[in-house]
Amino acid sequence: MKNQKRTWSSLFLIALLLILGACSGGNDGATGNEKNGDSGKASDQKITIFQSKVEITDQLEALAEEYTAETGVEVEVWGTTGDDYFEQLQIRMNSDQGPSIFSLQNVTEAEKMKSYVADLSAESYAKDIAPGMELKVDDQIVGIPYGVEGFGLVYNKDLVKPEDVADYDSFVSTLEKFKGEGITGLGLSKEAYFLIGHISNYPFSLQSDHYEFIDKLTSGETTMAETKEFQEFGKFMEAIKANTPSPLDVTYDKEVGDFAAGKSAMIHQGNWAYGMLSDFDVDFEVGMLPFPLMGTDKLAVGVGNNWAVNGKKDEAETQAAKDFLNWMFTSETGQKYIVEEFGFVPALTSIEANDLDPLSQDVLNASNSGQTIPWAQNYYPANIVPNDFGPKAEEFFLSKDMTGEEFIESLDDAWKNAVK
Amino acid sequence: MQNKNNKGWYLLFTAPLTIIFLTVVVIPFVIGIYYSFFKWDGIAANPKVFVGFDNFIQLFGDSRFLTSTWKTTLFTILAVISVNIVGLVFALLVTSKLKIANAARTMVFMPYLIGGLILGYIWQFIFLDVFTLIGELTGMDHFFFNWLIDKDFALYALVFVFTWQMAGYIMIIYIAGIQSIPQDVMEAAMIDGASWWQKLKNITFPLLMPAFTISLFLTLSSAFKIYDVNLSLTGGGPANSTEMFAMNIYNEIFGYGNYGYGQAKAIIFFLIVAAITLTQVYITKKREVEL
Amino acid sequence: MKKFYRVLKELLLLITALFFLSPIYIIIVNSFKNRQELYENVLAPPTEFSFQYYIEAMDKMNFLNALANSLYITIISVLIIVVLSSMTAWMLARTDNKLSKIIFMVFIATMLIPFQTLMMPLMQFMSTITNSLHIPMINTREGLIFMHIGFSTSISVFLYHGFVKSIPITLEEAATIDGASKFGVFWRIIFPILKPITVTVMILNVINIWNDYLLPSLTLTDKGLRTIPLSTFYFFGQFTIQWNLAMAGLMLTIIPVVIFYVLAQKHIIKGIGEGAVK
Repeated sequence: MKNQKRTWSSLFLIALLLILGACSGGNDGATGNEKNGDSGKASDQKITIFQSKVEITDQLEALAEEYTAETGVEVEVWGTTGDDYFEQLQIRMNSDQGPSIFSLQNVTEAEKMKSYVADLSAESYAKDIAPGMELKVDDQIVGIPYGVEGFGLVYNKDLVKPEDVADYDSFVSTLEKFKGEGITGLGLSKEAYFLIGHISNYPFSLQSDHYEFIDKLTSGETTMAETKEFQEFGKFMEAIKANTPSPLDVTYDKEVGDFAAGKSAMIHQGNWAYGMLSDFDVDFEVGMLPFPLMGTDKLAVGVGNNWAVNGKKDEAETQAAKDFLNWMFTSETGQKYIVEEFGFVPALTSIEANDLDPLSQDVLNASNSGQTIPWAQNYYPANIVPNDFGPKAEEFFLSKDMTGEEFIESLDDAWKNAVK
Repeated sequence: MQNKNNKGWYLLFTAPLTIIFLTVVVIPFVIGIYYSFFKWDGIAANPKVFVGFDNFIQLFGDSRFLTSTWKTTLFTILAVISVNIVGLVFALLVTSKLKIANAARTMVFMPYLIGGLILGYIWQFIFLDVFTLIGELTGMDHFFFNWLIDKDFALYALVFVFTWQMAGYIMIIYIAGIQSIPQDVMEAAMIDGASWWQKLKNITFPLLMPAFTISLFLTLSSAFKIYDVNLSLTGGGPANSTEMFAMNIYNEIFGYGNYGYGQAKAIIFFLIVAAITLTQVYITKKREVEL
Repeated sequence: MKKFYRVLKELLLLITALFFLSPIYIIIVNSFKNRQELYENVLAPPTEFSFQYYIEAMDKMNFLNALANSLYITIISVLIIVVLSSMTAWMLARTDNKLSKIIFMVFIATMLIPFQTLMMPLMQFMSTITNSLHIPMINTREGLIFMHIGFSTSISVFLYHGFVKSIPITLEEAATIDGASKFGVFWRIIFPILKPITVTVMILNVINIWNDYLLPSLTLTDKGLRTIPLSTFYFFGQFTIQWNLAMAGLMLTIIPVVIFYVLAQKHIIKGIGEGAVK
């Protein structure tokens, strides 16, 4: 009996050890990690970068290596898939596992992460940010743009001339003409941002002060349905629905593929689409034209992503993070990476851009000549595009009878739901 | 002494796992319950405002949540039926003496090996390209079309893909059940000249009751929780018509940034589902044959 | 006539099984195509079978390192799960008291909680443990193993519990009278009988843990710790996927599990009869 008692008590001990062993073996993990890093130059400082643009991860890792080689500061680039970045960031910040440098899309996100963002106003390169492109919270610059991006009508120069889509009437007759020829006049795709998100900017951006307008919309002082830009936007959407195949069947890949194959004359996209377009054999010239709502001849240009520094880290790490950004924006290597490797249209006047792809060149030209309207979407309620606008737009494209006017009314409802 | 000893054994056998389980699942769940009484956007540094039961009251007027609950229930019923039928039929087939049985078992199980999001993307190709192609070829285009852009059919598409993925998994459970049926019982039945159907009805099915319990519960719980396939196949669309429960919570928590409200939803749903499924387990367990 | 039916049955089973497998065809052919080819026809076989995307995917994923991480995490987790959950389930099933019922019910009930609602409090709690007790739960493989065990508990105990119920209790009683300890009874008599369900539990947990993306993505941040599914993030952009690399990465992810499954399923077959007879 005594013997038996000893057996179980010792076994209980073993079991406990097993559990503890499972938790405390953590040191292994750290060594496994060091093996991977650059062990050449030793430095105590290490910074981490977590950002949402998966497409530049490789290049960013290469840039980080160059930085380590130059300064000895270890830079680690974390990664996650493109669609769950913000959730991951939020959870990591909440559990004190946040990165030193992270990315924010817009002012709505920045407000939310207000307690984490460091003030970057004093950085030497901050004065070089193109006017109106900086990310500000409470008059402090908290985000430095990745680059500027623009969207509009990406068109096939063999099929479309700028005067074909100069205003509502010419736009509609062009769509009708293509419909007759069996070509998609304007291609959209089913992802919420490409279906409605970007295109919904125009009626907002054309307001004399879109910030004020959005505030009024939120407070209920005005509605989209009673605003003339939106009324015309509704007509545009109706014409697109009437004259093109349903975009709900089309993915971003297919949208660009159809355009490359000459099956669509135009697609509503941004200069980023050139990256995918270059995966296809394209035998015609492409360019970007403004979406002619109210006859406007300006491209929508704005910032899609910003670098931010985590101010909640210890001082040394925050400083190291700022140093890295400083190096990236001011050193020759860093600037070269931004333009050539990341493929961004620089948002800093101090960075020169050469050899841009044709779509980015159109964006840069518009930007340099001031022919731009802002991205109102950066001031939308958080996630309204996937949460509320997307489903309403799907409803609109699914239903044969829903008019543009009704669609705008449903967007009003969507807005109310997003801000309640 | 004997009693004390038994308690020690009891502790030794159950405590380690229970402790791990408490730390990883139960405590976080309790923390979640705590948050459900607050209005909070989910950022640790931002203010949490205590609102009592407001979040729970708000639930009953939330039509998107109620629709999602209804759709999830519908999906679950359809999915449980179809997964179990397909899984059981395959289990019976691949435990028979057919030559191809072993290969078939592996093939049917294969979809379950491919986890996660990418499955949904592959099925998007099938619904978009293959279904429309079959529709054009056979002329049955009222049935073979892109199911994902129809509000009703998108739900069936989810059931379809879910069944495709889960049937192999459930098949394994049934196989384990079938294999635990003592051979001598079967042989005795054979000697008595029982037909295939008689054996099935009088021996296999009753002895499979534990496997039924397990399979029903497993399909029920994974259907209620469906997220990955939902996200990658339909994304909740078109027009929110297939926004299942887990996705609704996820969107509430991370999309709208209503952390406390999202947790309140989770808790209410958990209570309802737990009541239903535990009743189910209780009922089927009762019917199990004790050997 | 009987023979005809037999052949028909064989054929039918083969066709259904092939139908089940058909979506995998899409994965395979498209892991060899570029975007243009994929756009032109998703179903067409590739024009050339070059393994360039596999090589590129392996390179980007740092495949061998990821494989080592995945193997370590999966094997250790599953071994501990099998040992602990079989013991727990047996004890709960054989001890007929309130406490057992409550524990078992809690295990089952929590299977209904979507992970999405747990993940934030979980990470906060783990971070508290890390900071206050100095046990590194976050960003270590061992911490991840701990969490995997926790999340696999319910289903594993549930599966074992159901199976234990079907084992005649007389076997254990005889052994206990012979003076064997509970520990001896369990490992020498019960555990061998549990073999078919052990194989099932192992297969299901291996698959779940091997393929899991969400939990590792939250707990592991260091590059050197990434598991295989975690390393495929490079191919998934916000709006588009690099299909060829993603499909190649997927093939690389599932090949080890397929091998494991094929090996393990032999033991399911061997398990026939063995259970009850012993």
